Amino acid sequence: MVALVDCNSFYASCEAVFRPDLKGKPIVVLSNNDGCVIAANKEAKAMTHIPMYEPIFKIKNQLLTNGVNFFSSNYTLYGEMSQRVINILKTFSPKVEVYSIDESFLDLSTVPRDELEAHGHKIKDTILQYTGLPVGVGIARTKVLAKVANRMAKKLPDLQHVCVVDSEQSEEELLKWCTIDDVWGIGKQHAKRLKSINVHDAHDFTRLPLAWVRKEMTVVGERLWRELNGEKAIEMVMEPKKKKGIGTAKSFGKKLTDLGLIEEACAFYITEVAEVLRAQGTCASQLTIFLTTNYHSDYDKQYANRITLKLEVPTNSTFILIKEANKALRKIFKLGYRYKKVGVDVTGIVPENEVQGNLFRPNLNSLSVLSKTVDKLNAKFGKAKVRSSTLGKRMKQWELIKEERSPRYTTQWNELLTVGKCKPKA
Amino acid sequence: MEIIKHGKIEKVDHRHAPEVSKQTGFPSPATHYLEPTINLHQELVLNSDATFFIRVKGRQFLNLHVDHNDVLIVDRSLPVKRNTLILAIIDGEFELIRLQDEPRDSSISIWGTVTYIIHRT
Repeated sequence: MVALVDCNSFYASCEAVFRPDLKGKPIVVLSNNDGCVIAANKEAKAMTHIPMYEPIFKIKNQLLTNGVNFFSSNYTLYGEMSQRVINILKTFSPKVEVYSIDESFLDLSTVPRDELEAHGHKIKDTILQYTGLPVGVGIARTKVLAKVANRMAKKLPDLQHVCVVDSEQSEEELLKWCTIDDVWGIGKQHAKRLKSINVHDAHDFTRLPLAWVRKEMTVVGERLWRELNGEKAIEMVMEPKKKKGIGTAKSFGKKLTDLGLIEEACAFYITEVAEVLRAQGTCASQLTIFLTTNYHSDYDKQYANRITLKLEVPTNSTFILIKEANKALRKIFKLGYRYKKVGVDVTGIVPENEVQGNLFRPNLNSLSVLSKTVDKLNAKFGKAKVRSSTLGKRMKQWELIKEERSPRYTTQWNELLTVGKCKPKA
Repeated sequence: MEIIKHGKIEKVDHRHAPEVSKQTGFPSPATHYLEPTINLHQELVLNSDATFFIRVKGRQFLNLHVDHNDVLIVDRSLPVKRNTLILAIIDGEFELIRLQDEPRDSSISIWGTVTYIIHRT
């Protein structure tokens, strides 16, 4: 049997752990640069008269007048809390697949059938007690069925957030309960099509001939069909896959016209990307830089461009990548525009130890000793404390606006949660 | 770049190197007694997934021997026991209390147990 454990409104729940005063109150979390709502707790979701996922500037007043508490995203906190949950899950199963920041699959094949329900509740209760985060647990024969069971655990209050589907009868009930739109992996187009041939729920779907599913919905549909029929077709993935491409692009806090500042932001993103490359022991052979103005703006002149360059020797050196990025940036930068965003993508990712130099360009990864030392220092003293001079010191001028970010309670000694009201001097 | 010399067989150094320790001088008398240095985090944090550090602001908890700017180590995994220092939530606010009896009052909920107080002298 497989369990899917997921945290309820994860980002909002993380905030609530440290803010008991917000218990039972609506909370939303905003995207980078506070552009829009990316997470809402159930109290906020219940306010259906507010179009929650509209850009924030359109609904800010509505949120304020309705007493909705909002937070800028605090990924440092969410990532750390997620790691705690994963560590706890690993005490419940030797095989845990971390599917996303708030969802994991657990192999429960060693747990006796009649103990599954109790096991599920134990998982849920332990995570809530240790971390303060509420989770839902779905347990079934396959991953896709576990996903549906998890959904049911969330929707039917009687289940108390744990749903075990361990008999043919309960499987059939589950499948009939799940509408075709809600099946994991079936997109809007397919759902529409399936409904036109009278397939309205997951159970109808499992009754379709396999040949039809394979022909019309490719191997992806076939796997879903098999999994929903109780046959394992999607394996647990324990090792996270090495990424094929790594990128980052964030909007500036305000529009920029100055190449120097854009170079700084770009160098910062390169630094982040290169750290990921080194952490997974890989090098990139191509680098893409893109630059764009604000296409939502009616009065600004618009311009966007991108450039991809092939690196002579694949590298993960921050310094080489910054140098190349600056060359690229100068090729696409044009004066006279107000830029909103610069982005960095690296592709053609190869293992570090397979990189070959050539006669004129030896493998320069001896530089990586320097990079690795920088990584160690930054891990100890904080992000980008030691850095290329291109990064400069004008971060405030381009950095994202994170006005409502909560403290990094679990990773920064000077941002700890506080207790006690008065604040005497010394 | 290193240049590889073709046609020459590199000499294997010290063909008859004796397989003994190359250590010279007196061996440390502590050799077989070495232990890792005390690690405070390891001692004070028993369940790191359930432990949080919390800063005290103000002197209202002096009667509990908790001073301004102290840091509390709070373990949420411990079962609630009598006569322990508790980080509780009362009316939505964090409070420190020494628990005399099992809490019957439903307006008090328990966030975690304070296991250590770090005080700077």
